[in-house]
Amino acid sequence: MKFKIAVIGILGAFLSLCQSLWVSAAEKPLLLKNGHIITVSGGTIDGGDILIQGTKIAQVGQGLPAPAGAETIDLAGRWVMPGIIDSHSHIALEGDVNEMGDIITAEVDCKDVINPRDINIFYALTGGVTSIHTMHGSANPIGGRGIALKMRWGKSAADLIFEGAPLTSKWALGENPKNSNDIGMGPARYPKTRMGVEQSIRDQFERAKDYIKKWADYEKKAKAAKESKGKIAPPLPPKKDYRLEGVADILNGKLWVRCHAYQSEEMLSILRLCREYGVKLVCFEHGLEGYRITNELVKYGVAVSTFADFWAYKWEAYNTIPHAAALCANRGVLVALNSDDAERMRHLFNDAAKTVRFGGVSEEEAIRMLTINPAKILGVDSRVGTIEAGKDADLAVFNRHPLDPFTVCEMTMVDGTVYFDRARYLADMKKAEEEEKAKKTPEKKSGGED
Amino acid sequence: MKKSLVIAIACMLLSGALLRSNPEPDRLFIKNATIVPVVGSKIEGGNVLIEDGKIKAVGKEVQPPAGVQVIDASGMFVYPGFIDSYSHFGLVEIAAIASTSDFREMGKENPELRVVWAVNPHSVHFGTGRVTGTTTALIAPSGGTFAGISALLKMDGWTVPEMTFKETATSFINFPMTPRPVGEGVAVQAEAKEDVTSKLVDRIRDYLREARRYQELKKVAADDPAVKAPEYNAKYEALGPVLDGTLPVIVSVEKAKDIELAIKFVQDEKLKAVFRGCAQGFKVADKIKQSGIPVIIDSLYTGPSEPEDGYDAPYRNVVALAKAGVLISFSSGDSPAQGKDLPYHAAKAVAFGLPYDEALKALTINPARIFGVDDRLGSIEVGKDADLIIASGDPLDMKTEVTQLVINGRRIDMSNWWETLYQKFKSRPEK
Repeated sequence: MKFKIAVIGILGAFLSLCQSLWVSAAEKPLLLKNGHIITVSGGTIDGGDILIQGTKIAQVGQGLPAPAGAETIDLAGRWVMPGIIDSHSHIALEGDVNEMGDIITAEVDCKDVINPRDINIFYALTGGVTSIHTMHGSANPIGGRGIALKMRWGKSAADLIFEGAPLTSKWALGENPKNSNDIGMGPARYPKTRMGVEQSIRDQFERAKDYIKKWADYEKKAKAAKESKGKIAPPLPPKKDYRLEGVADILNGKLWVRCHAYQSEEMLSILRLCREYGVKLVCFEHGLEGYRITNELVKYGVAVSTFADFWAYKWEAYNTIPHAAALCANRGVLVALNSDDAERMRHLFNDAAKTVRFGGVSEEEAIRMLTINPAKILGVDSRVGTIEAGKDADLAVFNRHPLDPFTVCEMTMVDGTVYFDRARYLADMKKAEEEEKAKKTPEKKSGGED
Repeated sequence: MKKSLVIAIACMLLSGALLRSNPEPDRLFIKNATIVPVVGSKIEGGNVLIEDGKIKAVGKEVQPPAGVQVIDASGMFVYPGFIDSYSHFGLVEIAAIASTSDFREMGKENPELRVVWAVNPHSVHFGTGRVTGTTTALIAPSGGTFAGISALLKMDGWTVPEMTFKETATSFINFPMTPRPVGEGVAVQAEAKEDVTSKLVDRIRDYLREARRYQELKKVAADDPAVKAPEYNAKYEALGPVLDGTLPVIVSVEKAKDIELAIKFVQDEKLKAVFRGCAQGFKVADKIKQSGIPVIIDSLYTGPSEPEDGYDAPYRNVVALAKAGVLISFSSGDSPAQGKDLPYHAAKAVAFGLPYDEALKALTINPARIFGVDDRLGSIEVGKDADLIIASGDPLDMKTEVTQLVINGRRIDMSNWWETLYQKFKSRPEK
């Protein structure tokens, strides 16, 4: 469910306007003073300060003294929360995200097509989003690798990569890999049923097991040959197969599995398959019927990355409720609210407020669904997701509480650098408007005949 | 004789008892609420008396008649029911399944098609769509140039005729959209090229001209038996009330340049128009105001029409239109599944500077005015339909629960598809 805001051409002046970095703690310490600090890990500190040194949060508390040479930003009672982490996204990628050419495409990698000029990175910042997990599409039972990015707007593709974040493998079950909707995703092909989807994953596991064994045998023989000092002829290596290497990385636990699924029974089914092959399934993507199998999700420690209330766009999305996230969370499932959409990404904080109304989670839990929970799902919770000393200075500043219906994100910071500042944006927009007007108004003739 | 009299009296008594035990009496009394009537000022500790589906009395002093059913709304808030100015409720159940979709007909010119022929009154989306306060919705067809005829439906009823508030609400014209120039440097080139949009508008004008000719010919034939009447044409027939300005027509238009063209088009053709969309309305807000054409705002869960407009253009747009004095109203847009988000679009506009009271009007009295039904809907005033929201707080807040809706003076069953599933799976034992 990818939504594209078409960005055509390079919008020179506008983009450069959005790209300028305004304040950064890289040079000198930065002190954010006098805000409501929603720390996530330690309650909300009213009249709180955050000291940032370099890319990290150095100190959080009340009445922090400004170190020598520090720059100070007065929050004037604004609300600060950890930068929002969107754990299911398809932005900042070049071209289409579905490799439709084959059923299994474990060999392709989103890392190869990161597009740092996608304006959706800027839009992410305007909604307080500082990190995303951008992924392969859902046309394949085993799709390509996904990657976590930080929204360092204006930086290169390589600089967007969230250093040290585990790589992920995107799987998909149900209607999309079945290619069964009226609004089809591609040509008719196997698999056309949920049975076929599961079998195509199973087939790959068996092939990959063989592949792993072949290489292990080869290594063994090669080692023996080397040790024999010429007595045993060195063996020929097996044929390299990038696809099976991708699947082998899943079996070896190198990739964190993120499985797109809607129906509860197919989730249970794939959980059985994963147990059989010793594969760690980290998270169900969407998981719209996850609320029906909370016991099992808790038992096997599988998280759900879902929508607050997006539903009924297809059959497998019909049997769900806006209470799903809350019901899962209240029963101990690790839940993240994600966007899967360049537009929804801009108001995830509004979505979180809906889970308070539907299903009745606490406001604290609703905020966790945007911060520390997705951080855990992405394996980056030691770096981001809370406001604590030692963590990355990824912050979102709002004029009201983030769950207030009338709140506006006013500033977003990644690694101690302000990448979005609404006041500055408004000033620049006004300037651009005036310049445009000046261009249109013809200059008065001097010394004219009238 | 005596026996039959006894039976008759017994029957009368019994029927009286049955009437008294009827859970939905003709009268309803809402007690001790904070009433936000939209037209008129807020009343703390106010009461509303409802009789025969209408608001009979509003105020602090209003007393409950004997035996009336009372809703104690202490600590609660009462608002007029919201009006969704553009939706496909009942016309599509699941977007990806064509067999559940009935809002878009083949072909470009379908001005004669009526949504009331296709609405499924038992779509789950009526039940889920109203949980945030929508009591009336414009149900719209879409697609092509002339999409058909919308209806205003109350969000409750056993059948479509029962739900129908206004069977013929508006006609539709989807105005052609100027394509955005593709690629670098093409903008200049495209400007120099021919004006594609104006050519497409000319085609609409041609079609309307034919329809007008048809109407005139019919009139002449009616007066003069020597003149042969034109062969019956359902499409031109349907455009009759549009052409004589009695039926409003919703004109979907987004870009600033197209809005200017559309204003001229509407004025030349003497149509009673309502714009829908106007994503770049903020660039020509004064011109829209001058034209007197109201604007139905589309879902605000949308990005800017063009990146240069700025990330917040959709919200700024609403603020600019309202500031210019344009009559605006909100709508939930294309997906009835997201129909419940109607008040949240209003909240988004408030966040970016729309005065709160204006937002509330744009959910109630403004759409009532736009659709010419403000004598019956859009505010809590004596004589109007008793369509009310009873809520725990501000209905623009996602955290607020609408605890009870009243439509046509009746308490609505608030259970719905979501509640059913929620209750069922909440009851699964935890292990």
